[in-house]
Amino acid sequence: MRPSFYHHLHPPTIPSPQARFRYTLGAGGISVYLTLVLLVTGILEMYYYVPTPEGATHSIQTLTFLVPYGGLVRNLHYWAAQGLMVSVLVHLLRVIWTGGYAPPRRFNYLLGVLLLVVIVLLDFTGYVLRWDEGVRWALVAGTNLLKTVPLLGNDLYILAVGGDQTGPATLVRFYAWHVFGLTLLLVVLAIWHLFRIRRDGGIAVPPPELRRDPRRITRFELARREGTAAIVASGVLILLATFIPAPLAQSIDPSNLATTETQAPWFFLWVQQLLKLGSPFLWGVLLPLGLIVILGLIPYILPLARPAELGTWFPQGNRSAQAMILILLLGILLLSLLAWLG
Amino acid sequence: MVGLNSIATGLRRTALIPAVFLLLTIILAGWHNNRRPRAIALLPSLTNQPEYCLSCHQDLPEISRSHPFQAFGCVLCHGGERLSLEADLAHRSMRGGRNPSDLTVAQDSCGGSNCHTGEAAQERNHVQRVLTSVQATYAGAIANLRYSFGAQPDLTARMGIFAIRDEHIQTPTGLPGLEAFAPENETNPGIQAFAQNCLNCHLSAEPLPGEETSRLTGCAACHSLTAGDDLDQPLHSLTLKIPYTQCNTCHNRGNYDLRNMHFVPRSDKPQDRLHDYYQPIAQFVRCEWTLDCIDCHTRYEIMGDGDLHSNQREIRYIQCRTCHGTLDELPLTRTITDPEDLALRMSFLNPVIDLGGGDTVLVSSRGEPLWNTRRLADGSYELFGKASGQRFTFRAVKGSACQQNTAEQESRYCHECHAVER
Repeated sequence: MRPSFYHHLHPPTIPSPQARFRYTLGAGGISVYLTLVLLVTGILEMYYYVPTPEGATHSIQTLTFLVPYGGLVRNLHYWAAQGLMVSVLVHLLRVIWTGGYAPPRRFNYLLGVLLLVVIVLLDFTGYVLRWDEGVRWALVAGTNLLKTVPLLGNDLYILAVGGDQTGPATLVRFYAWHVFGLTLLLVVLAIWHLFRIRRDGGIAVPPPELRRDPRRITRFELARREGTAAIVASGVLILLATFIPAPLAQSIDPSNLATTETQAPWFFLWVQQLLKLGSPFLWGVLLPLGLIVILGLIPYILPLARPAELGTWFPQGNRSAQAMILILLLGILLLSLLAWLG
Repeated sequence: MVGLNSIATGLRRTALIPAVFLLLTIILAGWHNNRRPRAIALLPSLTNQPEYCLSCHQDLPEISRSHPFQAFGCVLCHGGERLSLEADLAHRSMRGGRNPSDLTVAQDSCGGSNCHTGEAAQERNHVQRVLTSVQATYAGAIANLRYSFGAQPDLTARMGIFAIRDEHIQTPTGLPGLEAFAPENETNPGIQAFAQNCLNCHLSAEPLPGEETSRLTGCAACHSLTAGDDLDQPLHSLTLKIPYTQCNTCHNRGNYDLRNMHFVPRSDKPQDRLHDYYQPIAQFVRCEWTLDCIDCHTRYEIMGDGDLHSNQREIRYIQCRTCHGTLDELPLTRTITDPEDLALRMSFLNPVIDLGGGDTVLVSSRGEPLWNTRRLADGSYELFGKASGQRFTFRAVKGSACQQNTAEQESRYCHECHAVER
């Protein structure tokens, strides 16, 4: 049989201890599945969505309320996006707390960090596509951050917004980035990320002589577990999509300068809270960018887990990285909570 | 036990439990989807944009003959999210909540150059005129109070409920503008008490509690008949047939206690108009208690003439002689020749009278047609109640036995002889 991409991703056997759900948390696999759900539901949404300021809200309302099961499709897209954000963060934590990013997986780790950035951008552009009162403030606040960049600020702003204020050009840009530019990047990076897993020797495990449990599971068992996880994830998505609809607000009234919603989307709440500290460039641009750079540098500057420790939770070798990501996580959670309460 | 174990293993292997869970969620999603209201589309001819309000609001009666829902739909007046089948979202951008005619939004809801503002003809600029009227500005009461408490040197109005300017002054008493009355800037406790207790009867004010004062705000204060009704009930009706009871949701409701500066609502429940409604000292003639207020008082008087005035006296000009003339002169009349004549339009909108070209109607001293009247062949006149549809006939003073001094023709002189005894 000719090897296929499926066979590339599913070797004949893989080590059993590291294939357990309580080790992987299924986060990588669920992320792949949610990405597929997002692609399918996103394509369906594109048949209805009209990327103009007048058309956006109305087309979303048409899809949500009038197209048979259109609301379900939109809600699935929304919940898959929220779920993806959570699952990639869980995946990142799992990789760091198991030390799995050690060479030869450093490059794939970097691809993962890039994927995280792309997913955050996809979430924000998708959020803005609603183009209703609920996103108006976050769009203005978010794009205004670009202006604070020294020297390049105004050009960056015009590049992103397409004029001196948000309007039709902004919407069409965000739309193009969301459905084409960023999605293409996501797909290419994700396939590369998946491809590299096998190239880097599959999931991180100790060398054969140091493994305590030599058992392995078959390709069939791996696929069965993935299938089960996908079925459960689908059920949860359908429940969420059915009973907790994605947010919608009234159309933007340009004559009304006051907006009702002045809270960033949940994944940017921590940045919103940071902005209260002072310089928007420092706290709103430099610090988040710096955090991403630090995240990317973890395998290069901090001690790594020893080979014998691989494939287990919380190895001793990379405790500093584990502590750092924990502090980062708690900091972001705390800032988000403060912004949410405020 | 071996059997049970192998069944358990089989279930795990085939992922049967997750599959059943997924199936259940799909069934649940389908069931939930079918519980949504059935979408009922409406494509109003004036907007040509589909709206789905009727999915929930089919039971509402049409608001008026002049606003058929097939032409207007709902959103043109009410705003709102026309495509939403979810009540909260659908109602979020509605103008004025349940009342789009509230003066804060009436310009958008009822106005517009095709509707009740922006017309070259002053008599059709209703919303703009109402905004300048003393019923909306309450300028007279505010000026009076501020003058009485020494906050301003004369009775000329300077402040209204809201700030407003008038670029086109057309009458000698017209004011160029009013500032917003700001009680927090007033030092006199009397004025502050007035602001606290007595601002209940202008067109933007929430009504006092109770059935007798039950009314909406803005245009609907008069045009939606609420008198004696519970405002919590949906009210979807606009009318030109406004009976005196609607006027009485503000007027004749009680007295202001000027010492304590608060409103003392009357405690009785007036039933008999002749004996109960008016103040004990008031003098009035038969037509004032048999006709409805709007049978005599014109749109300029009630809805403003487009100028800002200092008090209601400056805008009230209909007198007995408007209909009855004087000993020397017959009342003013106009014979309808123009098919666009306002009188024809009004009698079309409220067909209590079948006016046609060639009919002669009474007109006021400012040229407003009293379109519910007509001169008859024998020289007498007929009047139809705008709300009641009832027909009355009356004669001019000229040629009658009246011996009134021709220099004293204001209503109060007529009351000397013609007032009704109670």
